[in-house]
Amino acid sequence: MADNEVTLTIDDQTITVPKGTKVVDAAKTVGIEIPVFCYHEKLGSLGCCRMCLVEVEKMPKLMTACTMDVGPDMVVKTTTERVEKAQKGVLEFTLLNHPLDCPVCDKGGECPLQNNTFKYGPGDTRMDFQRANNLKAAPLSPVITLDRERCIACQRCTRYSEVIEQDRALVMLNRGFHNEVGTFNNEPYDTRFSGNVIDICPVGALTNTQFRFKARTWDLTNSDTLCAHCGCNCNMTLGVRTNKFMRIESRPNDYVDDGWICDKARWGYDFLESKNRIMEARTTLDGASKTLPVKDAAAQAANALKKIADEHGPGSIGFIGSPYGTNEELYLYQKLFRQQLGTNNIDHKVYAETPGLPIPHYDVSEIETSDLVLVIASDPTEELPILDLRIKKVVTRGNAKLAVLNDQSTLMDRYAHLSLRYDIGAAAQVFAALANTLAGEKGEVQDTGITGEQLNSLMDMLKSSKKTTIIYNPAALTGQSVDVLKHLLSEIGKISSMECGAIPAAPYTNAVGALDMGVLPNYYPGGVPLADAEAVKQQSGENSPLEAGLSAMEMIEKANSGELKALLVHRANPVVDFPGSKKIADALKKLDLLIVHDMLETETSQLAGIVLPSNGPGHDDGTTTNIGGRVQFRKGGLKTTNAPDWKIISMMAKTLGDETDYITSFSVTDEIAKMVPGYGDISKKSIKKMGLARTAAQYQNGTKPDSAKSQPAKSDGLKLRIASYLFAHDKILDADSRLAHQFKPSTVHLHEDDAKKLGLKNGDDVIVVSGDTQVRAEVEISGKCNPGGVVLPRISDEQGVLGLAGADGISSVEIRKA
Amino acid sequence: MFAFSEQAEKEIEKILNKYPEKHKQSALLPLLTLTQRQEGHVSPDAMREIARRLDVSPAYVQSVASFYTMYTLGDTPVGKYTILFCINISCQLNGCDELLDYTAKKLNIQVGETTADKKFTLRREECLAACTGGPMMRVNDTYHENITPARIDQILDSLK
Ligand code: SF4
Ligand code: SF4
Ligand code: FES
Repeated sequence: MADNEVTLTIDDQTITVPKGTKVVDAAKTVGIEIPVFCYHEKLGSLGCCRMCLVEVEKMPKLMTACTMDVGPDMVVKTTTERVEKAQKGVLEFTLLNHPLDCPVCDKGGECPLQNNTFKYGPGDTRMDFQRANNLKAAPLSPVITLDRERCIACQRCTRYSEVIEQDRALVMLNRGFHNEVGTFNNEPYDTRFSGNVIDICPVGALTNTQFRFKARTWDLTNSDTLCAHCGCNCNMTLGVRTNKFMRIESRPNDYVDDGWICDKARWGYDFLESKNRIMEARTTLDGASKTLPVKDAAAQAANALKKIADEHGPGSIGFIGSPYGTNEELYLYQKLFRQQLGTNNIDHKVYAETPGLPIPHYDVSEIETSDLVLVIASDPTEELPILDLRIKKVVTRGNAKLAVLNDQSTLMDRYAHLSLRYDIGAAAQVFAALANTLAGEKGEVQDTGITGEQLNSLMDMLKSSKKTTIIYNPAALTGQSVDVLKHLLSEIGKISSMECGAIPAAPYTNAVGALDMGVLPNYYPGGVPLADAEAVKQQSGENSPLEAGLSAMEMIEKANSGELKALLVHRANPVVDFPGSKKIADALKKLDLLIVHDMLETETSQLAGIVLPSNGPGHDDGTTTNIGGRVQFRKGGLKTTNAPDWKIISMMAKTLGDETDYITSFSVTDEIAKMVPGYGDISKKSIKKMGLARTAAQYQNGTKPDSAKSQPAKSDGLKLRIASYLFAHDKILDADSRLAHQFKPSTVHLHEDDAKKLGLKNGDDVIVVSGDTQVRAEVEISGKCNPGGVVLPRISDEQGVLGLAGADGISSVEIRKA
Repeated sequence: MFAFSEQAEKEIEKILNKYPEKHKQSALLPLLTLTQRQEGHVSPDAMREIARRLDVSPAYVQSVASFYTMYTLGDTPVGKYTILFCINISCQLNGCDELLDYTAKKLNIQVGETTADKKFTLRREECLAACTGGPMMRVNDTYHENITPARIDQILDSLK
């Protein structure tokens, strides 16, 4: 037995568990259940409900199994007469004021109080007095209902707010008999992660307002699926009754979400019933817009593309995919365009990320064993909420240190041991300086907003760490700075005293998958570069096109110049999401043929000649690869008669002569396993339950820049940083969304110095201008960025911020009073 | 808007000096007490201000403040003198209920209320740790033990 293990006996079973394990968890390992209320594995011990009392030899009193660490040779008994009497007593007491609501309570059927009472409780009560009455069904927030009568004051929810969310928004108020759950001044409890309290409440006190009185829990058909809203790919359960969406709950997977989901998962699924859904295929090719069967539309689309490719060459058509598509959809689309239409004009993004890393690609759970987390240009709180919880966890409850390198302040700064803020636009230079310093050369940080000393302290942190996780957001790195970052990563990887890995944390659901599936103009699936013709041919066949394709932005340019004739856009909305906005629409209008394959109507689908319906998450099966490179299965759940996307793509391929028959989405997954380097081990079976990390392509990529030359260009305007905001008012969260209370007003963050120069004060109404784009916003002087820059969170589609950005994401803006 | 008085600010400086920066939330009770003394109540605004200074959430301040009966949460100040009657066992056995009734009648208010002239607030209180001297009442910071109706008359009449 190792030093860090303890052997004890529970109900005559001898077990060995790690030191520090609580008796209640130790019992669980051998299938002995000790009832609990207040204890929750992820929250740790509190010991306030007394439900878990057990007898321990040599201890005179009953002990709470949830607070007691296992001890060597401890003898625990969980079913003695004394224990049973105590359990009955605790339950009788807990139930004193509990209403007889079970028949109408949403928790019924999955309620620990109901279950414990049934298993361990007394059959009766000795309570003769009138039960206390209390407020029933009070809104705790627009989406959570609190029934005060049902609350047993176990404090799980308030401790969740304190320990997990760490903002103590939900607290226990008053004392003794009057003890109750509440918020400051009765304000709504509307944090990013509020919904998890519904799942952990052991009674029906906190319920999902959306699900109230909708269905009995045992009548639901549950599918184990994934959230489709961001790159975390949190696991969740989708509850369905008679093919109607009912609710979403968390489904713990420690590799991914640590047991939690954010509110966008729980309440961000109204789009399933949106009136804005594209339900039918339509075409305007033969004159006025008319609907047609999906099969015919797919054939028409494929033939039309082929015709244009034949007439004008394969370079005249292109494909813009989506980092929100599944691996299967992405894979099939690139295959269609490469193998059957002969073009590499394939892309899914407007930033400069490339597949592969010079250091290992870390799974999200690696953060837990790291002693340094370095966050670069990423804002987990606003982009990847569940990652935010994981970082907070290791920094405040583990021993990890946090360093932040960003051009905007984020909530992470509050937890950071070192937080460096460089000027907007100076990323490449800072990365280069740090890389050079690590390589023992001189690192120039002049005019970057950070000092050489600061850089040195970051270097010291790196050098004294044993294991480092670097989290970066490629989508926030403009121009070619991500390339310099890769060079920096390889320099960090050379620190011999340290293990390290990176997590490329683009906010989009399947951004990693889109890179892996080769939805790129210059890489085949698995990160095989076009330049390596041999490898390409070996992988994808002799006829694979080898001519470099156009990037998404280049395709738009060529559409504008008339060189690109046809474009297929899958689950993307370039008109709003690409830099330039209005200019994008103008370019798309010049195309001979625009095909949009999407789930909801968008500004782009409005311009399309052929529209194909996409069922999207909730309906279609498929796999996605999260920021940690973990491939998981996203099951549909709801049934529909519309063909899934993979089938529609396959219809197009068949129209053009492909003969492959795919039976289910897993048939495509199997092909991916065969064809995509790194995905060899992925199969229906291997990714069941926890998913499986694919093998990342490893490259010594990244270029060492000449730091003297990469000085940020001086310009008159203020440098613009567009910040992501997951709860933005877009197509997914529309005006009717349950999460509308999370929508924010358009705000431009200015540095004090610049505000002074411009004569602006907090709350002023201004117009942010670049070229002919104007965005209205309210001024907030917040110190969110260094002087010379502004931060503009992207809070809605309507706001139109991307119109301000240049093609490479970089831009300067002017600010005028409205 | 709530603001600490100049004198309170000096006190706060002294109080905060007692705790390491990392543990400044330990100053929560003293700051609540200062507020209660200054305003006669603790308003949401005041709680927000305390939260800001101690770097905790306003909800946490309210959670702590609402645990203790010596803070009057809300927007209504208590009277100049707060009279607290212990109603726990020793005082109860020695007739605190009658004395409390007597006082309420004398002040012409219900228990829990404040007199119209804002001079007295009358409240029940749990054990005030003066069991040997029960029945007892506390008027602001002064304990009066072994009280009788006559003593109550005398005490209240003496307060200006
Ligand atoms: S609301 Fe639920 S989780 Fe919160 S204290 Fe009450 S019973 Fe516990
Ligand atoms: S963090 Fe991302 S994946 Fe997880 S629940 Fe929220 S939106 Fe969904
Ligand atoms: S579960 Fe042990 S005291 Fe509540």
